[in-house]
Formats: sequence, C-alpha cells, structure tokens
Amino acid sequence: MASATMSSALKKPETTSFIILVLVVIGFTLANDRFLSPLNISNLLAFMPELGIIALGMTLLLTAGEFDLSVGAVFAFTPVSTMLLVQNGGVGLELALIIAFAATFCIGALNGILVTKIGISSFLVTLSMLLIVRGASLFLTQGFPLKSWDEESWIRTILAGSFYVGGIRIYASLIWFGLLSLFALYVLNVAKVGNWITAIGSNRNAAVARGVPADKVKIWLFIATSMLAGLAGVISSLRISSASPVAGSQYELEVIAMVVVGGTALTGGRGTIIGTIIGVLMLRIIRNGIVLVGVPGLAFNIFVGVIILAMLVLHAKLHKSSERK
Amino acid sequence: MGHVMKLEGIEKNFGSIKALQGVDLEVREGEVLALLGDNGAGKSTLIKTISGIYPIDGGQITVDGKAAQINSPKDAMNLGIETIHQDTSLAPDLSIARNLFLGREPVTIPALGVFAPLDLTRLKEEAAKLLKRVGISKNLDADAPVASLSGGERQSIAISRAMQFFAKLIILDEPTNNLGVEETNGVLKFIREVREAGHSVIYITHNIHHVMNVADRAVVMRQGRIVADLMIKDTDLLSLEAIIMGAEPEELAAEMRGKAH
Repeated sequence: MASATMSSALKKPETTSFIILVLVVIGFTLANDRFLSPLNISNLLAFMPELGIIALGMTLLLTAGEFDLSVGAVFAFTPVSTMLLVQNGGVGLELALIIAFAATFCIGALNGILVTKIGISSFLVTLSMLLIVRGASLFLTQGFPLKSWDEESWIRTILAGSFYVGGIRIYASLIWFGLLSLFALYVLNVAKVGNWITAIGSNRNAAVARGVPADKVKIWLFIATSMLAGLAGVISSLRISSASPVAGSQYELEVIAMVVVGGTALTGGRGTIIGTIIGVLMLRIIRNGIVLVGVPGLAFNIFVGVIILAMLVLHAKLHKSSERK
Repeated sequence: MGHVMKLEGIEKNFGSIKALQGVDLEVREGEVLALLGDNGAGKSTLIKTISGIYPIDGGQITVDGKAAQINSPKDAMNLGIETIHQDTSLAPDLSIARNLFLGREPVTIPALGVFAPLDLTRLKEEAAKLLKRVGISKNLDADAPVASLSGGERQSIAISRAMQFFAKLIILDEPTNNLGVEETNGVLKFIREVREAGHSVIYITHNIHHVMNVADRAVVMRQGRIVADLMIKDTDLLSLEAIIMGAEPEELAAEMRGKAH
C-alpha cells in the first residue's frame, strides 16, 4: 500500500508545488546568502505554524466544498477573551481557556448550522461572522491591545515554549503543527470520514444518496476550523505575551491562498494536506525572501499576487490534462 | 411471482401542490419495471420517496412483506433499495474503489467510529473483483478517479455498486440521459444482466424504444397518479406512446381496470 501511495503521489498537484518550492528556496539562497541563516530560519519557523494550523482546518473545509472567512477574526477573539478573563476577571488561565474555546466552538457550530440548515452560502455566513467576531474583540478591548502578560504557566510551555537546535530556535508550535498535520493527513486520506469529506465536496447529492451525513460532517468541519484558528491565536498570543483585537487581520485570505496554492480546489472534492504544508511554507518563504532580496516594501504584494496566480494557472492546466470531458 | 416492494396510497405534498396523490404500485421479483410519464408527472418524486430523500406524507410502503419506514437514504439502502441518479451517483474526485464503498466503507478498527481507518487492501481487492465480475470490458484501474471515466463507464460503475450489495431493488433514474448510442446500448445490456442476476429494477426514462427493449412491464404516471399499468408483451410502441401523450386519465383508468381483470 505504501508503495502504491508513493507512486500515485508523483502524479499529484502537490508534487508540482513541491518542485516549485525547492526552486524558490534555491533562488532566494542564491540571491541572498542570509536567507538560510539560522536567524532567518528561526523567524520563518516562529510564524509559519500559526498560519499552518489554521490552513489544516481550512483544507478539510475546502475539500468538503465550504470555506471560512472568519478564521482571522477568531484568531484574535480566542486569545483576547482568554486574556480579558485572566487579567480583568481574575480567572485562572486554564479555566479562561476552557471558556474562550467553548465560545470559539459555538462560533464554528453557528457557521456550520447557518450554512447547512438554513442554506446560506459559506461566503456570506462567514463574512458576517468575521464582522461580528472582529467587532466583539474590538468592543471588548475598546480597540486597544491588552497589557502584556508574562506569567509562567505549564500551558505557555507546551504551547509556546522554545528550544534551540544548532542555532535555530524551534517553537513548540512547530511540533503542534507537525502532529496536527499528521492527524489531518490521516483523517483525509485514511479515515472513513475522509472519504466522506471528499465525496461531499465532489458531489454532495451522491454522498447524501449513499447515506453520508453531509450536514453533520460540514458542521464539525466548521467547528474544527474555528477551534484550530483559536488555538493558533492562543499560541501566537502566548508567544508574544500579548493579545491584540486586530491580530490576524486578512489571515483568512492568506490561509485560503496557502491552501489553494498547495493544490486543494476552491470548489471542493480535491484536497491535499501535503500540498497545504507546501503552500504554507511557500507563501511564508516567498514573503520573507522577497524582502531579503530587496523588493521595495510597497511592491511586495504585487509579487505575492503574481506568484499565487501563476501557481493556480499551473494547477488548473495540470488538472485539465488529467480529466476527461 | 412475489413482490419485493408494495406501495399503497402514497401521498406527498409540497405546500399546496399535491405531487403524489395516492400511488399504488407493486414491484415484482426479478422484473424490469419501466416508470413513464411526462415531466412533472411525479416520477422523480415517487422515486425520491422510495429512496429516502423525501419522507412520505401518507400511505404505506411494504418491503418483503413487512411494513417499512423509509426516512433517509440509509434506511432505503438497509432495506436493499439502491438508487442510481442520472449523473449524480458518483463522486468524480474519488477513485473507483472508494466510490464503490462510499457510505459502506470497510474499516479495520471499527471502534474508532468515523475516524476508523479504511481497509484499503480489502477496498482495492473487492473493487478489482467487482470490476471483473460485472464484465466491464476495458481494464479499469480501481485507483483511477471516476473523473477519468466516460459517461457509460460511470453508469456501469454505479449500477455495479448497487449489484454488489445484493440490492433487491435497483432504481435507475434516466441512466442513459447523457450517453452516446454505443454507451447507451452498453447500459441497456447491463440492465438485462442485472435482471438475470435476480434483482428487480425500476427504470425511469423518456425513451420508449428503450422500454420496449428491456422492460417487462410499464407503469405510466400523470399528475401524481398512476394512469396505466401494462405488460410490455401485451402492448406495442404506438399504444404505449399514445397513453403517455394523451387520452384522458378517466379513460385510461377504465382501460387499466379492464386489463387488470
């Protein structure tokens, strides 16, 4: 089975993404030798897992044919409400996290229920949710970042601790990202529910006709995506010892770009976790490398946009050539 | 001959629209029953009630002599009723093997619930065996995505999936709609094989030639009612067409009563 998986992997979109990633890394290394310096790699690895964790949930959701624009707002909301409870409510960090994640769970469940049971498109539901959740964070904090919070806690150690490996600073978040990636990979490719997720995104009516509980699966995927966005926000906030109501602005688009650049289809049915990991690396590396290469700051987004478009054109071409009709 | 399914007085309303107004129908063992009627006659609604997509508002469904409650597609599948819609039965992005077992995946550690790992070895073996058994001529790879297949191949896969679970009743909803001539003939041949294998078939189509070709019996619907029930050997193409196209429901009902006795 392992060998069959390997050989079919060579034909998949993530392989193209991976080759381009390698070329990008080689290109940036040649252009600026500081690109592979321990400090730069440490910077890349500090930030990357936070977006990566959200991207895993988004990949599963996109594969089922839905997406979530509220992840950036949730990224701010969960840590902001946690910190408010700790700093102003006199609640312990553990209990504060439980309450904040319970609220995050409800955000995801509400997204899912509105999309599946009321039948509003996920674009509209999660766009509204973005405004509500972001607005709630701004209102609760009156628009100001919270006081810095640097008490030690076992939770901080396991979520945002760090250690050095040969001069490169590794954050605990990278390990979490690794474990969650493995789990997402298992869920999508091996677990029974992964078969359902792909079937729902590929042809919902067919899946329902086979007895697949499509609505339930989608609701749980919305919940999972919200919880992962909340977790990423908490990790980020513990790392920088502060919570800001404007954290994670436009992360939703960044994350969706990472996922589709990796080869997952925006229209559902085709999802790849490996591709997403490559997409996350690629977008972070491109953003980082472009600055190092010396592209003027204001021209920066032009390059990012062009590279994303080029990747999507490539995936579209590859997919067309493999499909009949 | 016994019947696999009996419908009595089936009713279904959508708001004020009476889509099904007391449908009585028996599906006998090992027959191909053609369900005919113009657009909006209630064919699709009837099929959707049997396959668990719409719950019925009134009437009684009996499967294998026992009163049956069909509230979801899963209920229908558990009763041995498999429905194949025109081109909506397969997930194009999943492999043939994964499509064959969609909703009934074999798993290795069932205790893990929906997170249980698929038994990929068994999945592939069974799929290969099945592709062979149903005699799909070309060498199809069980790992190939359904998107790479032709329309006829897709329908054959969908029908074989129904056969594989030893469905008592296979419902085909316009299975040849988007197919070319040769592929259509392939599917019709397949329907005969399905009957020979002992399954009952309800075949919905607009094409009377296909009905004359493969069906044993034809039932015509109009305005949510069954207006004619004929054995194919007792009728011919022109009179069947006349019934579908015209004639007042009352006349047809009278004719039907006459034929039944």
